[in-house]
Amino acid sequence: MQKLELNEVSAGYGAEEVIHRISLTITEPSIYVVLGPNGAGKTTLFRTIGGILKPFSGQAMFDDADLFYSKVARRRIAYLSHLNALPEEMTVFNALKYYADIEGGDVEHVLDLLNLRDLKDRKFSSLSQGQKKRVSVGKIFLRERDLYLLDEPTSNVDPKISKEIRDILIKLSKDKFVLYSSHNLYEAREIGTYLILIKNGELKFFDKIENVKARQYRIGIKTLNDVSQLLPESKLENGYYVVTVDSPQEIAKIVNNLVQGGAELLELRELDNPLQDFFEE
Amino acid sequence: MSFWQVTMKRSVRLSRTYVILGIGMSIYGTILSNILSFIPDDSVNPASTPIGMMNSFPILSVALLSLSALLFSLSVVMLFVYDKNNGVLEYLLSTGLDQLDIFKGYVKASLTLATYLLVFSNIFNTAIGIYLGTSLELLMSMAVLTFALGLSEVFLVTITMIAFSSLQKTPMGANQPLGVIIGIIPMFPTLILPLLFPSNAIIIVISIAAVTLLVSLALLLSVSRLVLREKLLP
Repeated sequence: MQKLELNEVSAGYGAEEVIHRISLTITEPSIYVVLGPNGAGKTTLFRTIGGILKPFSGQAMFDDADLFYSKVARRRIAYLSHLNALPEEMTVFNALKYYADIEGGDVEHVLDLLNLRDLKDRKFSSLSQGQKKRVSVGKIFLRERDLYLLDEPTSNVDPKISKEIRDILIKLSKDKFVLYSSHNLYEAREIGTYLILIKNGELKFFDKIENVKARQYRIGIKTLNDVSQLLPESKLENGYYVVTVDSPQEIAKIVNNLVQGGAELLELRELDNPLQDFFEE
Repeated sequence: MSFWQVTMKRSVRLSRTYVILGIGMSIYGTILSNILSFIPDDSVNPASTPIGMMNSFPILSVALLSLSALLFSLSVVMLFVYDKNNGVLEYLLSTGLDQLDIFKGYVKASLTLATYLLVFSNIFNTAIGIYLGTSLELLMSMAVLTFALGLSEVFLVTITMIAFSSLQKTPMGANQPLGVIIGIIPMFPTLILPLLFPSNAIIIVISIAAVTLLVSLALLLSVSRLVLREKLLP
């Protein structure tokens, strides 16, 4: 069984410690969403796991190999930073080949996987930000790895490509570890199984996303008929009857009452993301 | 194609000015080393010149030809800064390379580029020298010295420049000139000492090249301790 283990890891740059005594163990292949505000230490955490930063104290281990010292362990990791990290003067094909020559891999496979065939002869510097990001993401799929570290992989990418990237990662997470940092709380809920919350360089939460409890749930209900009598505590906002409840179970009761009261339901939607509370706490 | 080979090609493509400057300088060095052939014999009679100008003067152009190799390979250092700033070095680190592997790649690219130019300039210099009737022994000595001094200088300048670029806090490579200044210091004695000690000119240049090479090697092998991996981050 594969295992990523961080034991009391503190790391940073120069004398400045950015992440403090982080401990976590990952053994289940899945998508782990790393959330945290700007400057929380997400990138530092990724760089430490990627073996680029030497921990000030503690150890980052992958299958009992120290990630800073073991080249073999580092070769099992893919790291996508927030920069494109590709030679801008090259064509898309040559830029990918540049890395394939260094670390091995199949450029043709990446061109197909991320639909880059149309761009392959274009100069990387001439691409749009979204296209650049797509190529940049492509380089981590040149060869298979066991652990994927992705620092905001869908930033600057249009929704369609964003979804394609997320679909690839979801497929990948069936037998690989995927650590995915994001500011997008909806995206985090959509693809993540686990949540790793970092704040001020400290690990604040590490558990399944389904175990994240919101303090309150704001629900918008759209109906064909007037249900203000059935929902006296609701407010009408943009065509939705908005109710606030303390648990998801209460939502089921409300829906049940509405249906029994003759309401014709059109839509039921969660107006806030439960992770929002978590993020802002 | 390996990392250093791609690095070499990329640097030539990205910094053509340095390549042109290098070739221009090597032509200039060749002309200078053969200039005595155009001066009437009686004005440079070896017997009448106290410093043996006829034999020592072409040796001075060794420094010029070495400098041309240096200019030619500076494009590699420019590429290093570019790659550092756009995150390529960070990605290379994440693929399992360490700072020594990366430094070696750029140094190798730089030395190979310099070798190409030195081969070109020595063939050019020897051909012109033979045409003008310069002693074959002198031409061969110059070729050996140019390779020895040129490659050791390129090695030292490359390693010091990329080390300074890595260690500086500002991202734009502003400290690189420090590397050039430190790197070309060993070249100054090769401009003066052969004139003062003409009979030992070859030994002097070879000794300077050997010391430069040893210092460069020591610096390269200390890279893992001197330059932390985080210094290669953008």
